[in-house]
Amino acid sequence: MKLRSSGREAEKIEPQMAPMIDVVFQLLIFFMLTLNIVEPEGDFNVNMPITDSADASDEPQIFPDIKVRLVANEDGSLNTIRLGQRNLGNGPNVFAGLNNEILKIIGKPGNPITKDMEVEIESDYNLHYEYTLKAVSACTGRLDSSGKHIIRYIEKIKFAPPVDGNSAGS
Amino acid sequence: MRIKSNKPAVAEIDMTPMIDIVFQLIAFFMVITNFEQIQADERVKLPSDSLAKPPEVKAADELVLNIGFERNDKGEITDPEAYIFYNGEKIPVLQFGPKFEQEARIYKQKNQDPKEVPVILRTDALVKTGLVQDLIKIAQENGFTKFAFKATQKTQ
Repeated sequence: MKLRSSGREAEKIEPQMAPMIDVVFQLLIFFMLTLNIVEPEGDFNVNMPITDSADASDEPQIFPDIKVRLVANEDGSLNTIRLGQRNLGNGPNVFAGLNNEILKIIGKPGNPITKDMEVEIESDYNLHYEYTLKAVSACTGRLDSSGKHIIRYIEKIKFAPPVDGNSAGS
Repeated sequence: MRIKSNKPAVAEIDMTPMIDIVFQLIAFFMVITNFEQIQADERVKLPSDSLAKPPEVKAADELVLNIGFERNDKGEITDPEAYIFYNGEKIPVLQFGPKFEQEARIYKQKNQDPKEVPVILRTDALVKTGLVQDLIKIAQENGFTKFAFKATQKTQ
């Protein structure tokens, strides 16, 4: 029985490459077009139950709130940060400074007292949101040395009503 | 002069390396493509923070609000008023109350307490803090109590 023709070129069966490459290119182009580069986003959770101010004063507070005051310039940039009565000033390291001060207050990260502590952030009305967020971040914790895990400081953050921008410029 | 033998006239191209590369590319794009519908608005330039970590447990329902400015092609702000970009609409921040009411009603119809639904605020870095707080207050008046601030995850 003779199955093959005698020619030498028929020894290897050539798979049909053209349709496969068509499809593969289609897929490639599809994925390239649907690609949208999104920076990974994370969130800061803030619980803000509706409370009456009268109720809040009834609760016995073991620890007073840590008050962080953010003062803005007229253009909305950060002027100074005040922690309680202390002025932390302004500058590139002010948030790291705030972070350190919070650490000093709580003693050590994970300290059980942090559960009962609250940070109250009071900000000028016109302060840009990015500074507020940085302050929230500085109070919640810091990254550990490996940069992967968050060391929590204080989880409870609340906001005081904003201070009117006109009076706070000084 | 005769150069060619009687082999087929079409030169055979070796396809294997090309297909290797193309498959690599496809695999790459497949892996980094995310089809997850995030309700993000590209006009909002989020602040960045190293502590911003994606949530470990994702809530089934969340109300995502994009608060930002109208920007031109270069990313410059063209209108100093901040808006909420909501379902293709542009609503001034302080006039969002009715929408919150509507959202709260929808959640109640679905037997969900608005208290349990987190409101995710994707706020532009340049929005006034007071305005965000006003918005939170409006949300609270409509029964929302959980809030989350979004930031891009960047290390300084």
